[in-house]
Amino acid sequence: MFINWALQEINLKIVYYGPGMSGKTTNLEYIHSKLDPSLTGELVSLKTKEDRTIFFDFMQIEVGKIKGKKPKFNLYTVPGQVYYASSRKVILNGVDGIVFVADSQPHRMEANIETLLDLESNLKADGHTLENFPWVIQYNKRDLPGAEAIDVLQKKLNFFDVPHFEGVAVKGDGVFNTLKSTINLVVQHVQNQL
Amino acid sequence: MVQTRKLKDGSRQVILNGKQYDGITKVLTELATKTKASAILFADMSGQLISQRGNTENMNTTVLSALAASDFAATSEMAKLVGEEAKFKLLFHEGEKRNVYLSNVGDNFFLVVVFDVSVTLGLIRIYTKKAIEDLSAILDDESGNQPDDEKIIDSDFSSLLGDALDDTFK
Repeated sequence: MFINWALQEINLKIVYYGPGMSGKTTNLEYIHSKLDPSLTGELVSLKTKEDRTIFFDFMQIEVGKIKGKKPKFNLYTVPGQVYYASSRKVILNGVDGIVFVADSQPHRMEANIETLLDLESNLKADGHTLENFPWVIQYNKRDLPGAEAIDVLQKKLNFFDVPHFEGVAVKGDGVFNTLKSTINLVVQHVQNQL
Repeated sequence: MVQTRKLKDGSRQVILNGKQYDGITKVLTELATKTKASAILFADMSGQLISQRGNTENMNTTVLSALAASDFAATSEMAKLVGEEAKFKLLFHEGEKRNVYLSNVGDNFFLVVVFDVSVTLGLIRIYTKKAIEDLSAILDDESGNQPDDEKIIDSDFSSLLGDALDDTFK
């Protein structure tokens, strides 16, 4: 969190984390397409020729003034593939909240778990723990046939009982609820700690 | 150093006071005048833009800061791979019409100077070095800090924010 008293600005950094192809970029694309252009900046994507995120996606959103303060939210995604592990680590620098986008397909369970463990070790390196950090899970791709049952996903991934959402990010289902809940969680978290 | 609160979970809260912000902006203005740079940005290593000067109307400086921070992050990994123990201190991108000069200010901040190729690099280097010294001194000055009990986020802030989010995301 970065506070600029002179401008009364509160800047929060929210990172979308998850395995490759789970829909992190799709979440941002949907938000970008639906928000009023006056409230959102450009969506920047650093992609490979194959449309895979190579470094990160980034966009900033604003919600106007609240009690004279101007909150701004900087949304980032990380590349999901295993070989981009070091770029994932650097994007977490200064993170305030995390959306873990899990892939609901049974054959991606292992990738979900692996990425969650990777997130935990990267957070630890920065002095955080998953147990105390504000984060939520979005179970994405709920529309796909054969999607794993929610209680199975919950048992395997949500071991700290964080808020969870069902999503179909391509259609926008669950996208705003996920983001809103993350922002609320971050703000409450900060309030509780001051 | 700039006021940093460490929260219980390990998160970091960086707080810039008004005096520091004014000081930073003054240094950037001076640097812009002396170097005739097209644009100058000051940001933190997480990609957060703090202040800007120069001709930035047609430049998306929010995104530029985010990209510049990742530039530092990527090259610091590069530094490790080639056996350099510290981060690279400065990065330089040379273009046909414009050059970009990036230099860190302590461990947590950096300066981006965008200038026309007609301006010599030597000039940018000399004035940037001086600006970095001034910026470091400003960041070290804690005399303008807000008292610890002054909260920027108070109890009804989160409920009002919730309403604003509902409004924005409808």
